[in-house]
Amino acid sequence: MLDPRGESPLSDGRTEAIDRFEDATLDRPHLFRRWLSFSGIQLFVAVFLFFLVFLILSLSTDSFLSGQNLANLFRSFSWLAIVAIGQGLVIIIGGIDLSVGATMALSGLIAGRSMQLGLPVVPAILCGLLTGAIIGWLNGTLVARFRLPAFVVTLGSMGIQRGIAFSLTGGWSVTNLPEPFLHLGQGNVSLGIGSVPVPLLIALTLALVIGLFLRRTVIGSDIYAMSSGERALVVSGVNVTRLKVFVYTLCGLLAAMGGILLASRLGLAAPGSAVGYEVDVVAAAVIGGASLFGGVGSIRGVLLGAAITQMLNNGLVLLGYPSYWQTAVICTLMLLTVLLDYWRRQGEMVRYETSA
Amino acid sequence: MKPLLEARGLSLRFGSLSLVQDLDMVLHPGEIVGIAGQCGAGKSVVVALLAGVQQPDSGELIFAGRRLTWPFSARELGMEVIHQQPEMVEELDLTGNVFLGNELGRSFGGRWLRIPDRRRMDAEAARILNELGMSYRSLRQCAVHLTSEQRQLIAIARAMTHRARLVIIDDPGLMLSYAYQQKLLSLIQGWRAHGAAVLYASDNVDHLMAVTDRIMVLRRGQCTAEYATKDTDRERILAATIGASAQQELTPIIWALDSYYRAREQAEKLANRRKLLEHELGTPELDRQILDQLADHLNVLDRANVALQEAQRRLLSELERERKRLAREIHDQVIQDLLAVGYRLEELQSGLEQGAAEEEIQNVRADVRMVVDDLRQICGTLRPPTIDSFGLGSALQSFAHDWSRRTGIAVKVFVDPNLGRLPESTELSIFRIVQEGLSNIRKHASATSTEIQLSRTSSRRLLLVVADNGQGLPEGFDLARTSADGHYGLLGINERAALLGGWCRLRNNPEGGALLQVEIPHLPVDQTDLTL
Repeated sequence: MLDPRGESPLSDGRTEAIDRFEDATLDRPHLFRRWLSFSGIQLFVAVFLFFLVFLILSLSTDSFLSGQNLANLFRSFSWLAIVAIGQGLVIIIGGIDLSVGATMALSGLIAGRSMQLGLPVVPAILCGLLTGAIIGWLNGTLVARFRLPAFVVTLGSMGIQRGIAFSLTGGWSVTNLPEPFLHLGQGNVSLGIGSVPVPLLIALTLALVIGLFLRRTVIGSDIYAMSSGERALVVSGVNVTRLKVFVYTLCGLLAAMGGILLASRLGLAAPGSAVGYEVDVVAAAVIGGASLFGGVGSIRGVLLGAAITQMLNNGLVLLGYPSYWQTAVICTLMLLTVLLDYWRRQGEMVRYETSA
Repeated sequence: MKPLLEARGLSLRFGSLSLVQDLDMVLHPGEIVGIAGQCGAGKSVVVALLAGVQQPDSGELIFAGRRLTWPFSARELGMEVIHQQPEMVEELDLTGNVFLGNELGRSFGGRWLRIPDRRRMDAEAARILNELGMSYRSLRQCAVHLTSEQRQLIAIARAMTHRARLVIIDDPGLMLSYAYQQKLLSLIQGWRAHGAAVLYASDNVDHLMAVTDRIMVLRRGQCTAEYATKDTDRERILAATIGASAQQELTPIIWALDSYYRAREQAEKLANRRKLLEHELGTPELDRQILDQLADHLNVLDRANVALQEAQRRLLSELERERKRLAREIHDQVIQDLLAVGYRLEELQSGLEQGAAEEEIQNVRADVRMVVDDLRQICGTLRPPTIDSFGLGSALQSFAHDWSRRTGIAVKVFVDPNLGRLPESTELSIFRIVQEGLSNIRKHASATSTEIQLSRTSSRRLLLVVADNGQGLPEGFDLARTSADGHYGLLGINERAALLGGWCRLRNNPEGGALLQVEIPHLPVDQTDLTL
């Protein structure tokens, strides 16, 4: 039997370790801890990468900083950012949505087809958005309620959506879209500082609103807590299933928004548009610091990631590399970021073990 | 009064295993109901069902007049549940974890769009944690750095963030030190004072006795008994959790031994768990009271058990001595008297001439001889005369021969020739066991031949085997049930074996018939006291 008065040999050293660690982290939570933990470093890396790419491209090409190119860049950045925000939220709750590219194509197509069939612009756009929301809801229901792996569900969903999109028009694109609709993707709004592309305005507004909700409201803290504390949320009476379904639905809705903006920009809705776009979207979220293990990520990070991804896409063409290289370079960067994230987690794990 | 919670026929199976079976439960406002049961009795499953986390296979649950469908959010209904395993969001700080799912602040509709009021939450959390007496470094501390005890306290604090109508508690005591356990008990009483109902599942009967109004005993997923706390005592509840009440009334010694071994086992388990906890917590200031209490309990139990065994042994030895005295009395007095009567009759007969009377006297003499034979028989059973003079082997041989002649069942006796003399108590016990075994065979087995075997399995152990070729044991044979029906023979065998420190097993022989095996440790004669 245990000697009741025996001292545990572990106790002293361990409390000391806790003391030391917590003194370091707790008293100065914002500055010190942020920089010490790698999630801060990851954001730093994203900022650094952004300026690096920007600098290289401005110095090595003449056309990068031209007004025309920047305007194009801003526009294509917008829908990537919008879709990546949705993807980022899904990644933060520990899931993934591979069907966003197909959702973009399908909802753009449905919006375009409705207009072709004579529906006014606004209801047609709503139809497109509704399509995206329904697809997101279905994905979320399968993942959250039936507990299927998100990877498989959204992969299947991607194939189904492409199939539906192609069979809707027999493979043809929908053209001759009405003028007011085209304004959405191609137009500018003049604000005090100058004229701003409409898609960029939409993207930044969305980012601001969603970012505020994520930081300031309970739903935001639930989303961050989801991946590691799902059991705790359940026993605390939080409807975790509903929250997951909501996040997937939001992701589908944002993808639809991106798809409609893309169709409006191109002036046509093609069933084969945005093929492989999910790679860019996931890369943007991950490069921007969203952890594929869940629980980590931010809207400003996702915006940074989207900007980096889009600059690389644009810059590689300007530098004269064949466009085949784009995906390879972006994916390499994404894998490096995931590796960094892995090291961060390892570091935290060691910390948990020595302290907890 | 209308019940707050009513469960009807809740059942949950996992494969072929029944976790909860047909559970009915009624809970009124302001009532504290305890659920007692050993580890694995299904307490946590019941709590999971009532908390809406686990869906039952059948049954219904009515809370405040509303029928619930699973899965439901207990919290929305006004139930607070404290689980056995505290669940935390590791990256969230103390305040966040305390108010998880119940954040304070201004809302733009629903919980999701609520903007948490950090300052108010911090103040509230500090107040609650102070009330619990929990020490912490900072409210900004992440849950990752908490000890198990602190986690459990946070989980308890969660239940205190707002006034609940029903609090369900699933034995958080394992993680808590003694002082916090007492704190929890006073919290439970506080909840009742505010009109809430409390359901408290625990395997600590003392805690249940301290606070509850009513105790339900759960055993293998079934509610086996329900007591009003003021009309019962902890022994009865303990017995009900083990399921030992029937044996308790019949044979205290077996029950005592059984619960003694169980208690020892539990104590070992507890000590292990304690050791684990201590390692995990690593806090030297953790109070030793539980451990000391445990040691005390064990000591008391040990002493009680030794006394009990001693008493039983004395009783048996008194019994044997009384039998011996009775046998001597009958032999020396009654039989001698009868023999004298016989001689006098003989004398009388020789002095008489008349035919009719002579015949009558003949009959009387024959009767007297029969009575003497019977009495000798009885004396032999009361106290085998051969055992005192010739030892166990001869006594068994002669008894078996005699028995075989009376019953017509063939008996073969094999006694290890190197057996030697054993302590008197052992020899007598073995003899009695054989006696009982053979009488059972005669009554129940309908056998034609029997075999008795007594041998050494090692230098310190004896094995006695009594086998027959009869119909064997009936299906579903259960020792406890037979003794409940009033057949004590087998129980007696069991008892004698247990008192000698051995064991006894009764089973069917694969080749047909029943097989009784008794193994007894024995010491050489000179080392044992020979009083018995």
